[in-house]
Amino acid sequence: MTEQNTAQPVKGEAKSLPRVSPATDILEREDGFYIYMDIPGVRREDLKIDINENELVVTGRAMQGAADKESFLEVQFGPGEYIRAVSLSDLVDREHIKATLKDGVLVVHLPRLEKAAPRRIPIQTS
Amino acid sequence: MVLDFNTLYSFPGRFDRMFEEFFKPQLADGRRMAYPPLNLSEDDTAYYVRSEVPGLSLEALELTLTDKSLVIKGERPTEQGKYFRQERPAGFFQRIVALNVPVDRDGVRATLVDGVLTVVLPKCEECKPRKISIEVA
Repeated sequence: MTEQNTAQPVKGEAKSLPRVSPATDILEREDGFYIYMDIPGVRREDLKIDINENELVVTGRAMQGAADKESFLEVQFGPGEYIRAVSLSDLVDREHIKATLKDGVLVVHLPRLEKAAPRRIPIQTS
Repeated sequence: MVLDFNTLYSFPGRFDRMFEEFFKPQLADGRRMAYPPLNLSEDDTAYYVRSEVPGLSLEALELTLTDKSLVIKGERPTEQGKYFRQERPAGFFQRIVALNVPVDRDGVRATLVDGVLTVVLPKCEECKPRKISIEVA
């Protein structure tokens, strides 16, 4: 799911959609960092995660498909384009970033880079 | 550390965001204070109640249909860990939709796709407008 290109966020027909910065939690656990993002209404195929340099960019489109013949009485959310950039530190193992999307929440797991364990060098006697 | 408030080296982005927030009229009126946001709509056959409830399964939501209202209840869980940033709301929530119209109570359905809840309340047959033919004596 992680693409290593420098693709621009979705443009063109999505230009008229309002841009929304999704609510994001960033937290740390034993096995690395976790990013939780609320992106309700975004399907898996409409979601993009890009890494360029030290920034992780999440873009997604929520279409909130409603039939045209419906008339709205109250509108508190609508279609939108979610964009959020999170900068990554050098501690993150970029090759093993994992992302899952479930029930409108994107979870990105950023494992810590394995540091070379300190080791003792045996000394041989001739 | 993973931080997304790198204040010092993303000035262009921050500037854009400032502008966007400035020109966001619909968020200013305090409507978004109620959680979760609801959309209500109707067509010829039914009323639709839609709500954004990301992170919850249909089992974790409690939908109650009373005589005069539809109640949406639930709890958003908190993740364990050391937080660097917390923006997602957590905890119990409840919203009550007053139904001042008769609905077909047995035909109410709820679906949850990608964190968007849709409750379909069909209009009852008896209350649809009908044409009554008047016979002239």
